[in-house]
Amino acid sequence: MDMLLQFVANGLVSGAFYALSALGLTLIFGLMRVVNFAHGELYMLGGVMGWLATTVLGLNFFAGLALTLAVMGACGWLVDRFLIERVRDQGEEPSILLTIGLSIFLTNTALLLVGTAPLTIEGPLPNKPVFLGPVVLTELRVFAVAACAVLILAAHLVIRHTRLGRAMRATFQDPMAARLAGINTARVYASTFALGTMLAASAGMLLGSIYSTHVSAGGLVSLKAFVVVILGGMGSFAGAIVGGLILGVAEALWGGYISTGTVDIIGFIIVILTLIFKPYGLFSTQVERA
Amino acid sequence: MRKLILAPIMATAVMASAAAPAQDTVKIGLIQPLTGSVAYNGTADANGARLAVKERNAAGGVLGKQVELIIEDGQCSPANSVNAAEKLIQRDRVVALVGAFCSSATSAVMPVARKYKTPFLTGVSSEASLTEKGNPYFFRSAETDALLGKAFSRLIVDNLGLKKVAYIGVNDDWGRGSAKAFEQELSGHGVETAMIEYFNHGATDFYTLLTKLRGSGADGVFVAAETQDGSTLVKQIKQFGIDMDVFGVGSWATSDFIKITGDAAEGIYAAVPYVSNLPGERNERFVKDYSAAYDHAPGKYAAAGYNSLNIMMDAIDRAGGTDASAIVDGLHATDYEAPNGRYRFTRDGQGYGFDAALVQIRDGHTDVVATTRIADPRADGAKDGQ
Repeated sequence: MDMLLQFVANGLVSGAFYALSALGLTLIFGLMRVVNFAHGELYMLGGVMGWLATTVLGLNFFAGLALTLAVMGACGWLVDRFLIERVRDQGEEPSILLTIGLSIFLTNTALLLVGTAPLTIEGPLPNKPVFLGPVVLTELRVFAVAACAVLILAAHLVIRHTRLGRAMRATFQDPMAARLAGINTARVYASTFALGTMLAASAGMLLGSIYSTHVSAGGLVSLKAFVVVILGGMGSFAGAIVGGLILGVAEALWGGYISTGTVDIIGFIIVILTLIFKPYGLFSTQVERA
Repeated sequence: MRKLILAPIMATAVMASAAAPAQDTVKIGLIQPLTGSVAYNGTADANGARLAVKERNAAGGVLGKQVELIIEDGQCSPANSVNAAEKLIQRDRVVALVGAFCSSATSAVMPVARKYKTPFLTGVSSEASLTEKGNPYFFRSAETDALLGKAFSRLIVDNLGLKKVAYIGVNDDWGRGSAKAFEQELSGHGVETAMIEYFNHGATDFYTLLTKLRGSGADGVFVAAETQDGSTLVKQIKQFGIDMDVFGVGSWATSDFIKITGDAAEGIYAAVPYVSNLPGERNERFVKDYSAAYDHAPGKYAAAGYNSLNIMMDAIDRAGGTDASAIVDGLHATDYEAPNGRYRFTRDGQGYGFDAALVQIRDGHTDVVATTRIADPRADGAKDGQ
């Protein structure tokens, strides 16, 4: 019983991280119809930026996070204005090729600049154990889960309750009508991509402080994020959160009671079952858009 | 008509390429993963190899010529490593190959080396069956999982006094092979097995595994993992409040491992074929030269790259030419004084005679607890001491 509680707690923590990692991907797909294969690399760049800010520039964690968000947001904006802009409204394939190319470019550039060594980011709290009854967590993990919740909530509020968010939703519903109503859609697309990039980067830095990061980390992150997004429904906010938690807990239970060596099989099983029984995901995008 | 015009051009081209091997450098090809998940370790190997070549060239090279090291990225993948081998042999006309790092990649390059009759040496790949394939061009200047397990089990039992051990390994040939080899050897010494579990390359969260470990009742845990995974795992063992003796194989006793693992590295044991503070004048010289070139002390893979290139260059020198069968004979006659012992090869091309060390990390440094020699695998356990 104690073991079960610990497994579920482990699963919920990693599930929260999966949710945050997947959120940027689902947002960009839901609002822009761009399948961003460079998502994992943006996550990786967030970790590398966070490392640069805290270790090389000597900033504290929160100042480093703010700087990382600012720089990565600007990067996201530029990527949209100078790259994705060129293939907009040409269907999905050109943007897929573009983002795959971008992911290769980013990995190798980072490899050239930072090297292959694993990077550790100093967290804001010590990694001391916290005992909740029979369950062990660390202060940093509790903090990271809280930070995930805050970031997810903030992104939700931006989209639901700001002028920019309304413009985003309007542009997604009908770009032509949005333009006729006076919305600068180019700016809306760039903001959306910047927001998605910032979410990926914040996940990269947050998780880099708990584990460690390295320039080849992107691939695995993209893989899990795609599982979460397919399970939750492409473009669904709630889907990313629920999908992340389901994947986290399922992996923890499989690892706990069957074997940890085969845990990656869970993601594939989930994708296959979702595509067979609920091809649009648990939260159909028909009902709710991010 | 067209053929006639092309003929002289082609003839020149063929002559140029036939003339290529007769140039004034001796070319050796090195295949290492320079990108991907083990890029960090592959780069260290390549650095060691470069140092060996630089030193040899400063001392006059081999066969009176300078050695040219051509490095290709095999990415630890069989397909890319084979492409790299083809390119090195066909286009660069190397006289010998070193490398491929991952056992699966090395295994894929072996038939290529045999096809083109090119001597091929690995300084890293430890999967036992590689030297049992009867490939006459293949040599290994590294320990196998089984040899390491055999050499260390007694040391571990004597020094750590463990009764019940849990085994955790990365989920590939090497990790599974190491966990099994140590489990077998330690069981032979009467140590109980608490559990055997594996995790995937690049895994970041080990809490599920650690929950099982905590419930297993083990008093020690064996871990087969490389720098990145091993450091994350060790950190989480400490966070999780598990107080067990940890001993690992892989690139553990390096300054980088200690740097990224921090306080959590305190007190852990590592079974390593090389550590920078091994005693001996030959090692001191190597550490000094390596540190001067790269600003940090060499680890297991840097030493592996350094040793494998030196062994190959010695063999070419001994061959007196670049003929493949003469180099193979030269490799068989190897008796190389390395920073970590004296390398020799069995008839199958398996290296032995070098030292391995059990080290403990204390105050951010590695303390050598004991050293042991990788014995000639043809000899039985009874002759271990020789």
